[in-house]
Amino acid sequence: MFDSKGITKLIALAVLVSLLVSACVATPPQAAAPAGEQSTTGGEQITLRWANIIDATGQEQWQAVVDAFQAKYPNIKVASESTAGSGAAVYPDVLKTSMASGSPPDLFFMWGGSIAQPFIDAGQVMELGPYYEQYGWDGKFAPWVVERIKSDGKLYGVPYHALGMGFWYNKTLWNEKGWTAPTTFAEQEELCAKMKEEGMYCVSMGGKFGWHTMRVLDYFLEHHCGPELHDKLNRLEEPWDQQCVIDSYASFQKWVDNGWVVPDFLTISPDDSRFPFFAGEAGLVLEGVWYEGVLKNNEQNVADYDFYLPPTDHEPLRFSAFPEQWMIPAGAAHPDEAALFIDFITSPEVQTQFPINDFANSATVGVNPDCNEWPLSCKWREIILSAKDTYPPTDQAFVKELMDGFFEVQDAIVAKRLTPEEGAKLMQQRAEEWLGRQ
Amino acid sequence: MSAITNTPPNHRPTHRHRRLRLTPYLFLAPALIWYLVFLVYPMYQSLTISFMNWDGLSADIRYIGLDNYRRIFFEDDTARLALWNNVLWTLGTLLIPTTIGLMLAVALDRKLRGRTVLRAIFYGPAVLPLVAVGMIWAWMYNPQFGFINYVLKAIGLGFLARGWLSVYETALPATFLTAVWGGVGFPMVLYLAALQAIPQEQYEAAKMDGANGRQLFWKITLPWLREANVIVFSLAVINSFKTFDLIYTMTYGGPGRATQVLGTWMYFHAFQYYNAGYGAAIAWVIAIITLVMAIPYIQRMSRD
Repeated sequence: MFDSKGITKLIALAVLVSLLVSACVATPPQAAAPAGEQSTTGGEQITLRWANIIDATGQEQWQAVVDAFQAKYPNIKVASESTAGSGAAVYPDVLKTSMASGSPPDLFFMWGGSIAQPFIDAGQVMELGPYYEQYGWDGKFAPWVVERIKSDGKLYGVPYHALGMGFWYNKTLWNEKGWTAPTTFAEQEELCAKMKEEGMYCVSMGGKFGWHTMRVLDYFLEHHCGPELHDKLNRLEEPWDQQCVIDSYASFQKWVDNGWVVPDFLTISPDDSRFPFFAGEAGLVLEGVWYEGVLKNNEQNVADYDFYLPPTDHEPLRFSAFPEQWMIPAGAAHPDEAALFIDFITSPEVQTQFPINDFANSATVGVNPDCNEWPLSCKWREIILSAKDTYPPTDQAFVKELMDGFFEVQDAIVAKRLTPEEGAKLMQQRAEEWLGRQ
Repeated sequence: MSAITNTPPNHRPTHRHRRLRLTPYLFLAPALIWYLVFLVYPMYQSLTISFMNWDGLSADIRYIGLDNYRRIFFEDDTARLALWNNVLWTLGTLLIPTTIGLMLAVALDRKLRGRTVLRAIFYGPAVLPLVAVGMIWAWMYNPQFGFINYVLKAIGLGFLARGWLSVYETALPATFLTAVWGGVGFPMVLYLAALQAIPQEQYEAAKMDGANGRQLFWKITLPWLREANVIVFSLAVINSFKTFDLIYTMTYGGPGRATQVLGTWMYFHAFQYYNAGYGAAIAWVIAIITLVMAIPYIQRMSRD
């Protein structure tokens, strides 16, 4: 149909036509930013890719914040890329894939500790020290949160949430029974025994992913080992086959054997573990500051509930707490604009102007939730921001592979397939195996 | 006298011949390119990664030869447990859903009232997404408010009620029962198709010779199902070694590591433990086992 000359002519014609068409439909030059609006990137229109786990309801709330940012910086369009609902199970995989394929977002949400560490170790995130200086972020956040997100003394993230965990209980039910929040570990166990006598379980937990059960075991470790040793165990600076770990496993086995824990919980989903608590069959759940939202979502009367910090018999009374943060990938296309966006969304002014649910547990100092609307979050906020020290959940202290060794032992202790001594020994073996592979 | 010129035949392919010769390749090209880019190349990449120590994220990749494969078979207790669980799962799949599928096919091949509806009912679970099936069955197994314990208590067998997925000994069988529920429909359909291809004259002739029902089944039906058996058994083995969804949604490999299978253990290493090299090696172990098992299936399909 066409000889080679004909094809050449045809291609030349196509190129010419496409050039003409593109010239005709080219975007008109950007109008100058009106007064009050600020331009970055020299006026170039950019799209900022923002990876997060915000669900549909949260996205709706966040839209007002994003709109305010875009109105202030009209040359930046923020594109939210959400992996909602998966928690830490899938979201890090999504990030990992985007980074490995050379197409990372411009900024992303991340938990603290060992979940963030692989990204730091792989050199996939920026060290944000210069941005801390540029934006004056020092002093903007709760000090323990900043310390907790540091890696080798360097900051690779900007604090977003400061979250703590405690025992939640139905105070209306407790008032009827005449129970009060314990102040010592012995009182805690006495309370569990009383609940059992009343035909209730003491604690409800869901062991499916391991981390929900881990919170209770972490509490025992803090009690039996004390703050200093607990921290050293988390850093693998002390062996796990020592007496305080054995005692912790023994306490765990005792709670299960005494019927203080809702039975057969090992593969129950953490979400499903709420039902015995809501039904008044279990007296406690070890949950975080976010639980007020969970109560509301499950149509529970928040006024019926309260929480207390699990007594550890140590001073200061430490509780399990962890940060969440924003990070910027090393390969981000627009790191400066990402830092600008982070500065905007973490500023006390913006968080006060837009009191969305996600800001109720903000790591930013000077931001408080509406105490009429969120009384328990308000109470938590005082505790979290004034805490001298906290301990991390073990799953933010250990990498996932080692953590699954921890879960393996935890489950075996519950199922009585291991004695506390054997459990401690196996945990130490898992730690050594992991260290050996590093 | 006219000069006869013996011009040699022109062996140069004409434009038309060239085009005809290229045409099949042009038609094949889209599928071939797709196959090379999305299947062959990733497989090659994954094979290469399986010889590396790599976290899947950083630029630090180190060649370690067969170390990952050695670790699977000689150092990693969980990998060996996972392989054993896969073997148990495969044996169970070969025996139970296949037999039930055959029995249902034989029953539903007869002229029964409402057999189309019954076929649809029995095939129904096979079209449901396994993730949804796993979640529903996990709820049914819930020790506090699950349907299974409720029924056991209601019929006076309350002593059997337990946390089916939380007990080490029952977690894998309970998960497998879900797989049976969802896996009966597919062999049933394959056997039904095969049964309908059996010439009825053979049954009629055998009956005239005085054959009873059992003899008809063993002497006529079963030999005619040989082709279907190859397909059913091969696919059962391949799918058993690819098991992932039900374990992930129902037990997450627990309690402890009691229900880990190679598919989930590969996922844990490649995506959660940042051991991409080791995960790729497990993936290749699965691939090699399934390829070996698939040979009779592929041979039979190619011959057809």
